[in-house]
Amino acid sequence: MDRTTFRRLGLGLALIWLAFCLFPLWWVLVTAFKPPAAVSGGATYIPFVDFQPTWQAFRDAFSGVRGDFAGPIFSSLAVSLVSTALAVFLGAMAAYALVRFEFRIRLLAGLVFGVLSIGGFALLNQGAGLSVPQSLGLVMLIALPAAIWLNGRNLPGPVLGNDDVTFWFVSQRMFPPIVSAFALFLLYAEMNKAGVRLLDSFPGLVAAYTAFGLPFAVWLMRDFFANVPVEVEEAAMVDNIGRMRIFFQIVLPMSKPGLVATSMIVLAFIWNEFLFALLLTSSKWQTLPILMAGQNSSRGDEWWAISAAALISIIPMIAVAIFLGRMMRSGFLAGSIK
Amino acid sequence: MSQTPQPDRVKYAFIFPAFLLVLTITLFPLIYALVVSFQTIRIVPPVPPKFVGFDNYAEILASARFWGSIQVTAVIVFVSVALQYVLGFALALTLHHNVPGASLYRVSFLLPMFLAPVSVALIARMLFHPVLGPVNEFFTLFGLENLPFLTSPSFAIATLITVEIWQWTPFVVLLMLAGLQGLPSEVFEAARVDNISAWRRFRDLTFPMLLPLSVAVVFIRVIEGFKIIDTVFVLTGGGPGTSTETLTLFAYNEGFKKFNIGMTSALSFLFLIVVILFGTLYLAAAQRMIRRYQ
Repeated sequence: MDRTTFRRLGLGLALIWLAFCLFPLWWVLVTAFKPPAAVSGGATYIPFVDFQPTWQAFRDAFSGVRGDFAGPIFSSLAVSLVSTALAVFLGAMAAYALVRFEFRIRLLAGLVFGVLSIGGFALLNQGAGLSVPQSLGLVMLIALPAAIWLNGRNLPGPVLGNDDVTFWFVSQRMFPPIVSAFALFLLYAEMNKAGVRLLDSFPGLVAAYTAFGLPFAVWLMRDFFANVPVEVEEAAMVDNIGRMRIFFQIVLPMSKPGLVATSMIVLAFIWNEFLFALLLTSSKWQTLPILMAGQNSSRGDEWWAISAAALISIIPMIAVAIFLGRMMRSGFLAGSIK
Repeated sequence: MSQTPQPDRVKYAFIFPAFLLVLTITLFPLIYALVVSFQTIRIVPPVPPKFVGFDNYAEILASARFWGSIQVTAVIVFVSVALQYVLGFALALTLHHNVPGASLYRVSFLLPMFLAPVSVALIARMLFHPVLGPVNEFFTLFGLENLPFLTSPSFAIATLITVEIWQWTPFVVLLMLAGLQGLPSEVFEAARVDNISAWRRFRDLTFPMLLPLSVAVVFIRVIEGFKIIDTVFVLTGGGPGTSTETLTLFAYNEGFKKFNIGMTSALSFLFLIVVILFGTLYLAAAQRMIRRYQ
């Protein structure tokens, strides 16, 4: 009795949500094909009945009469593909190390590293008058070896393990991004002054987005690697094959589904990212989300143009979502919630 | 001491590239920003840096706009996350129990969270247009014409919350569904044989067993929610006035409209402190709640 009531309630909820979920997408799809009259006369919904669809908005977008579309699309594609590849690659390597090896970091060495870096930077930059990039580089060269050396000594105090290292990577994501984005903007501006162009440049954006995507990659890949059977690797080790070769020739090919899923998720995050692009680009390397944000003020009521632009930015991600939805059905992402 | 003394120096080769990247891109710039936050620096008009101690921090803590933006962010985040959690959990339950057409829902339920918030906000701007939009048409059916969806403070906040719910409920569905699928089915079979009602099965079995996951999901959503800028940037621009200005947007406006760099750095560190403080409190409270249930 109450079973069927719950089923009906559930079905009703699912249907209402489906409508709520899909209506905005339907709206943007049809609006992109509307002629101006179908917008200014009030809401219209059904093509061929309410209005005569036209390709005009897309023709305008790609012919470039209404601002450069091809440029941002190209920079979005280039930046997100390259950074995703780098982030997943570096993240996979780190995740593999975190699954298969044991790390022991002394808290004290970490603290010394922090104090040395902050104090050293303040001293070099404010006291000795070195430029910002110089002082940061120097500080790193001093503090990092010092901390690594200290870590090898028999120091008192707690010792951090692999889980803490993983948490350190993932916690980068918990930071409000404005903190690191603004700090990065300041640093890039200093580098620009020193003659190395990082603001509004391809390398600068790729570096920022690789660091941005890395925490996800480490987090997700760790679970995939944990499920790769260790026996194959042990057999290879008996045959005296080096760790690097084992990783590249055995482990990576075996975890291809994991790599693909992780890349998709990281790609979606980078493709959609707004704040870093807003701060770090100004004209040449503007990405699609920045162009989109500008649409609103530059063509307030030209809804067909806005919709065409929105469609261009969301279509690749619809493909990603469908692909991941398929993977999810096979219980694929269940491991990553642990 | 590790039990198996392996000569595995190669592990550093695996982890160092990622470690160095995070260090140079994410953490080292913070050091510079930290130093800057104790100075007055302006780019436009250029003022030479001057050490001012905690003046920047004090000035922000005394500004009504800062507290306003905290309040706006907190309202948006807490209301939308609460609704996302309830809705998302309910939807995950229905999907888990295979309502007719479940496979169709799965993909469409996932969609919104993969779309750029900027594009979603642009679409929402059309939908919530007070004269030409379909939402206005819907409310007109009830005799409420031309509501100021984006131009009155309380309506604008409600609109932002609606957009957040639309976009991020899928995240809750995704994770709660994965959690439901991982539960041991024997327990539920036994409960069904014992004729325990569906509601009690949920209250006494499903909910407590998924409590740790729920805590994590809500935590992630709240932390992510605090970062909100893109939706607000496009939808209301923080307006009317500063009534929908979130923390991140406030920091951006300080930095890029006033070019007051010391101030913005100080603000972003205060923001960090707010998030850390909140995260610690939340996790402590959550731990207590989990313990009470077990």
